Amino acid sequence: MSTSTELKGQIKRLLVENLMLQISPEEIGDDQPLFGPNGLGLDSVDALQLVVALDKNHGLKLSDAGVARKTLQTVNTIAAAIEGS
Amino acid sequence: MNLRIILVTGANGGLGTAIARMFLEESPDNFVWLGVNNRRERAEKLAAENPGRCRLVPLEVTRPGAWQSAVAEILAAQGRVDVLVNNAGRHEDALLAQMAPETWSRVLAVNLDGVFHGCQTVMPAMISQRNGRIINVASLSALLAPPGQTNYAAAKAGVVALTQSLAKEVARIGITVNAVCPGYVDTGSLAGLDDEARRQALAKIPMRRFGRPEEVAAAVRFLACAEASYITGSVLKIDGGIF
Repeated sequence: MSTSTELKGQIKRLLVENLMLQISPEEIGDDQPLFGPNGLGLDSVDALQLVVALDKNHGLKLSDAGVARKTLQTVNTIAAAIEGS
Repeated sequence: MNLRIILVTGANGGLGTAIARMFLEESPDNFVWLGVNNRRERAEKLAAENPGRCRLVPLEVTRPGAWQSAVAEILAAQGRVDVLVNNAGRHEDALLAQMAPETWSRVLAVNLDGVFHGCQTVMPAMISQRNGRIINVASLSALLAPPGQTNYAAAKAGVVALTQSLAKEVARIGITVNAVCPGYVDTGSLAGLDDEARRQALAKIPMRRFGRPEEVAAAVRFLACAEASYITGSVLKIDGGIF
């Protein structure tokens, strides 16, 4: 398993566990939108929890709202931000 | 031993000291951080009486940087913040027509901005813990809006609204946010009343007596306890029956 695949798996588990999603990590697509009706349907409170969890678990700082919005689009965009940080 | 880490602001005041003391008496597992600004003699005495269970931390609540430093010190020492009691406050009463803008700003800064900064600073830790209790000390003035207190009443009404709004934001994360509204409580803030003003104040209270700081502290302790886990966004009057 590549590092990237492993990282995406960690992000999906983080999503399910921290946001108490009623789905399994495997059901989340790498490019599936996290927010909005056509995606996972996360909201701003979920985003808040996600920002704290990503900082705690991966050291990813998303204090700027604009950067956070771009980063938290999909599992792929989160993985890219962690790998680039 | 699982310590419960509690931060009380304004901990040198009559009410702050009573709140801190009540947590210390509640359980040996409670560790209380006493947020203090310029005056600290009462807090130092309380800490000396409770060695190993209580520490002072400098905290000028109007300064976000002071909050960052204080919470960082607590997290470095103990890794978590379980309870925040936003108790620090001040009032400078005057008729609006004669109120200096600086007086308005000072009262808003301590009573409302301070609560905002406090809630915001502990939020990452409480979200990470998926657990936390915030109790904001508002005032009966928030609900009655007495003349001469446009600044204080507006600030405390803001605290009530902040409490209810934040409670909805973080309810699903396991964080509760509640407010208490003390009426006339026999602390230093009543000491400035002359005999006639005290008589007039007592006449408004159905119980015909001022509250004791311990009676407010008991409500704060309850809102922080495990059994209060389903109470959030509540505003509890503690006022001897005024309404």
